[in-house]
Amino acid sequence: MAGISKTAAREGWRAQRRAKEPLRRQLLAYGGFDFPFMLIVIVLLGIGLVMMFSAGYVNALRKYGDAYYFIKRQLGYALGGVALMFVISKINLNMLRRFAIPGLGLAFLLLVVVLFYHTNLSDATAQEDFKRWIPLPGGMTVQPSEVGKLALILFYAYAMEKYQRPHYTKASEQALLRSTEAGRLKAFWHRWRYTGLYMAVLLLMVALVFLENHVSGTVITLGIGALMIFVGEQRIPLWFYGLVAVIAVAAVAVFYTHPEILPAYAAKRIIAFKDPMLDPTGDNWQITQSLLAIGSGGWFGLGWGESIQKHLYLPEPQNDFVFAIVCEEIGFIGAFAILLLFVALVWRGFMIALHTKERFGSLLVIGIVLQVGMQTALNIGVVTGVLPNTGIPLPFFSAGGTALLMLLAEMGIVLAVSRVAREIKR
Amino acid sequence: MARRKQTASDRLFTRSMIVLFAMIFLGFGAGAFGLAKVQLVHGKEYAAKAEAGQLRDTEVAARRGDIYDSNMKPIAQSASAGKVYINPSSLAKASNSEELLAVMCKELAPILGISEARLRNQASYSNRNYMSLRGQVELATMEKVNAFREKECIIKTNGKDSEGKATTLESKSKYGYFIGVQPDVIRFYPLKSFAANLLGFTGADDIGRAGLELYYNKELTGTPGRIVSAKNAADANLPIQYESMYNPIPGNSLVLTIDEVIQRYLERSLEQAKIDAKAKAAYGIIMDVKTGAILGMSCVSSYDPGDYQSIADEEHRRAIEAITDEQERKKAYNQAMMEQWRNGTIELTYEPGSVFKTITVSAALEEGVIGMNTQYTCTGSTVVAGRRISCHKHSGHGLQDLTQGLMNSCNPFMIEIGQKLGVERFYKYFTAFGFTETTGIDLPNEAVPKPGINIHTQQSMHSVELASCSFGQSFEASPIQILTAVSAIANGGKLMQPYVVAKVLDENQRVLKETKPTVRRQVISADTAEKMAGMMEQVVVAGTGKNGYVAGGRVAGKTGTSEKLSAKEGYVASFCCFAPADSPEIAMLIAIDEPVGLINGGQIAAPPAAEIMENILVYKNVELRYNEKEQEKLGGSTPNAVGGAAASAAQRLEAQGFSVRVIGKGETVLHQIPESGRSIAQNGLIILYTEDGGAAQTVKVPVLTGLSITQANKEAAAAGLNIKLTGNFESNNLVTYRQSIAPGEEVPLGTAVTVHFVSNNGVVDR
Repeated sequence: MAGISKTAAREGWRAQRRAKEPLRRQLLAYGGFDFPFMLIVIVLLGIGLVMMFSAGYVNALRKYGDAYYFIKRQLGYALGGVALMFVISKINLNMLRRFAIPGLGLAFLLLVVVLFYHTNLSDATAQEDFKRWIPLPGGMTVQPSEVGKLALILFYAYAMEKYQRPHYTKASEQALLRSTEAGRLKAFWHRWRYTGLYMAVLLLMVALVFLENHVSGTVITLGIGALMIFVGEQRIPLWFYGLVAVIAVAAVAVFYTHPEILPAYAAKRIIAFKDPMLDPTGDNWQITQSLLAIGSGGWFGLGWGESIQKHLYLPEPQNDFVFAIVCEEIGFIGAFAILLLFVALVWRGFMIALHTKERFGSLLVIGIVLQVGMQTALNIGVVTGVLPNTGIPLPFFSAGGTALLMLLAEMGIVLAVSRVAREIKR
Repeated sequence: MARRKQTASDRLFTRSMIVLFAMIFLGFGAGAFGLAKVQLVHGKEYAAKAEAGQLRDTEVAARRGDIYDSNMKPIAQSASAGKVYINPSSLAKASNSEELLAVMCKELAPILGISEARLRNQASYSNRNYMSLRGQVELATMEKVNAFREKECIIKTNGKDSEGKATTLESKSKYGYFIGVQPDVIRFYPLKSFAANLLGFTGADDIGRAGLELYYNKELTGTPGRIVSAKNAADANLPIQYESMYNPIPGNSLVLTIDEVIQRYLERSLEQAKIDAKAKAAYGIIMDVKTGAILGMSCVSSYDPGDYQSIADEEHRRAIEAITDEQERKKAYNQAMMEQWRNGTIELTYEPGSVFKTITVSAALEEGVIGMNTQYTCTGSTVVAGRRISCHKHSGHGLQDLTQGLMNSCNPFMIEIGQKLGVERFYKYFTAFGFTETTGIDLPNEAVPKPGINIHTQQSMHSVELASCSFGQSFEASPIQILTAVSAIANGGKLMQPYVVAKVLDENQRVLKETKPTVRRQVISADTAEKMAGMMEQVVVAGTGKNGYVAGGRVAGKTGTSEKLSAKEGYVASFCCFAPADSPEIAMLIAIDEPVGLINGGQIAAPPAAEIMENILVYKNVELRYNEKEQEKLGGSTPNAVGGAAASAAQRLEAQGFSVRVIGKGETVLHQIPESGRSIAQNGLIILYTEDGGAAQTVKVPVLTGLSITQANKEAAAAGLNIKLTGNFESNNLVTYRQSIAPGEEVPLGTAVTVHFVSNNGVVDR
């Protein structure tokens, strides 16, 4: 008895363990993550913190009487964010798949809520009525458009994996479908229903973000959505992309020539962009001062901490325009190196994506990396005066706790995916 | 299946790569392009623009150099001060700006001494961030200003709360947020109105506006320093590492030829002379004959350069304030300002009148057209080119030799001499003595002779003009021109260039420049000059200049009284003299503008000249050589009796002709008045005190003016005072007119009172 029971107990424990394993496997990801990507993230974050501190301390000192006001907060979020990144990097992709639909629901909920319950974080004297932030207890805020972007990426990755293959793939089936009117309709439906869904979700989200009075969020959401559909949804004929591209170009042209059809706050910035000399002390103050800062940097910069433009010339230098101070302090060489780090991040992200067997993981990484890349490119475009001034922060650099937390969480997702990207693991 | 999957994966790969490269090349490429364009292509432009906005190039005013008199006594000095400004743009941003402004008006405006209206006006430029409120604020006041800047205030701004509703935000700040201070300098004139017209003054910007301050502005100003510092957008300085400092180089200091003591003698006597003559103004210049250095230069009334915008002359000010029409009052005020700042001794011109006769005679003697023995009979008038010109003495001076002609200041004699000289030779000397050019004195706005306007050209000068010119009428010259010309006679015929700055010192008082006397030309021979000096001494001894006499001083001079060309009525009474006649050292010109009552130079200009000259000669230790008569009257010096037995001392002194009074019961003399060595008349009174500690007995000074010499002597003796008479004993009808100690003052027994006397006999030259 004892022997048997002992054996049985041992067997039972093993069985138990065997039975448990799939759950653990289900919850957690195994294998090493992509170290280079993690390294790039940490290096960017480190440089970002240092530069943000340098850019922001004057403002912090003046506004809050404490030079470390911004950096203390940012550092806290960064540490939390890095921890979060590593935690998330252990999550099994299946877990993430489960978040896709509820996540999208939550995002839409927040996007609707923010229209009615919001706080204005921007300069109190500004006349602009931004509905971008939901206040949380404890002085924190949530930006639904940020949640929305991640939810959109997650949803697309999930859906584009799940509904990847057309239902009728055999030539005989297709021929049958094409033969009758109902069949053609059915074929059309099968061909377009998911694409239609993706576009509907995207347009609804974009509309809600636009209602927040948030053009930059609108543009980025639209960009990510469109690019993800382009990469992930492969049933759409090429002419359709051509059409979308033409509409996009036409829209940009119309907005550029007739900015007055946009909301006033956005129109103002386009008008200012069109003629930078129009009002260098008013609407163009920030961009003018940004250019002066970047220009002052020259090849090698004034040295870390030596920026002069941050001394209240460039408004809020710790935020969207932090890169201008980076350029001023470490010059073209330094700024270009940072640019290359971002390129490396995007590159490495794509490599992870393309070496991942699971389509969900691939699309997830592509979406996240695209988001970071687009934000970076748009931010630098704005700061250097190539694009109109929109409020896009620079990832890893700009002050903003929840945004950083979110970004690092997304990096964690990339790392989680990288664990299953076997090919590039060495 | 496998093939399709492959295809889908391939498509994913392809499209991903398209997106990746699009991202890298379009997105980041555009960023890199923008960066390169801004930073590398236009970098320098932007950097320059940024710098222009970022750098505060603060000028640090260099300390303005000091001005010293010849004894290194400071007469103009600069001191640190402050400048206060307001930042209207930051004030305008506050919603409670009116409230804040009201506090500033109430508290700051009185500290600065500015009107509320001015403060409000300056604060109204709401798009500026720097509007000056007041400069040259003294440091004591700056402390109060800084205390005000530390005062806390609440700044309210309109904004929105978390729900986007309009609300008022309050922040704690200090008034220093709106009110700023900057270093500045202020100019002090410790001696107040001393030599004011010569010194000039500096404006609020510390730049010389008149006088020496203007002429030597560059020298005095120095090189301002610069602090190039980075400022933030709120116009505050950044930490020190952005600062580069260029130290200011202080201005150089000037050492004047003006001697404070002499200048004071001049000013005191001129002021009195102006009052006595009820004149509009009085001018005086004293020159070192051998060098041309100006020892004193004064205009009365003067002003205080430290407060140059108030009219110094009380009477004039009240008159202007009484004008009801504002336009008129402003005009009168401005006119008065210009007048009081003007240095009349070099800027104004007048007809030199009889003083010029010295030039005519010098020229004629030099040219040999007359000799010392030349005689002329004055009948009271003479005819030139059909025009009768009369002498000031209508009855005529009768037969005179050259010296007498000068002593009498006889016009027909001078006309005769002028005609003998002829236009060409006259004009040669007219030019040589400097009447057609400026003297080149180192002062601004020297009057420039204008041919055809206030002097004749040689071409326009014919016998009638020559006639009037030969006795100093029908042309104008500035006081400095006249004195320089007469000084040439005193200086053996060498015409000097007058100057007022002897040395220029750097900040460490090292001599940078030293003015070397400049001989402009030899105008007449030393021999002629000596003859002229001799004759001019006679003018003072017994001629119209007898009131310019200084006992033992050997003053040579010439009086002048001229009708003003410019004014319908009014005269300029003048006296130009130098001393000692045999080796002249000091030359002086006194001119009284528009006297009322007595108008002759011999009556009103010569007496102050004598007072001043006597003071200067004593001060300069020029040996006074008394003649016998003078010796008797004032040549003695008080013997010493202190320490000796009272009785024997008294006896000894009395034997020498002094009156002696012994006060006290002691045996030895402890103290005497006048002290030993002081000058005293030969029959003067000496008081011997024999008791220690006993206060000297005092007496009240009696009125000693308006008396004859004998009466004055008697009065003084009766009061127990010594009297020191100065003036020309040779003349008759002497009247005392001024005493050195005012009547009624209590002075120790035996004190010497100097009493000046004048003669009104034969001093008229008009």
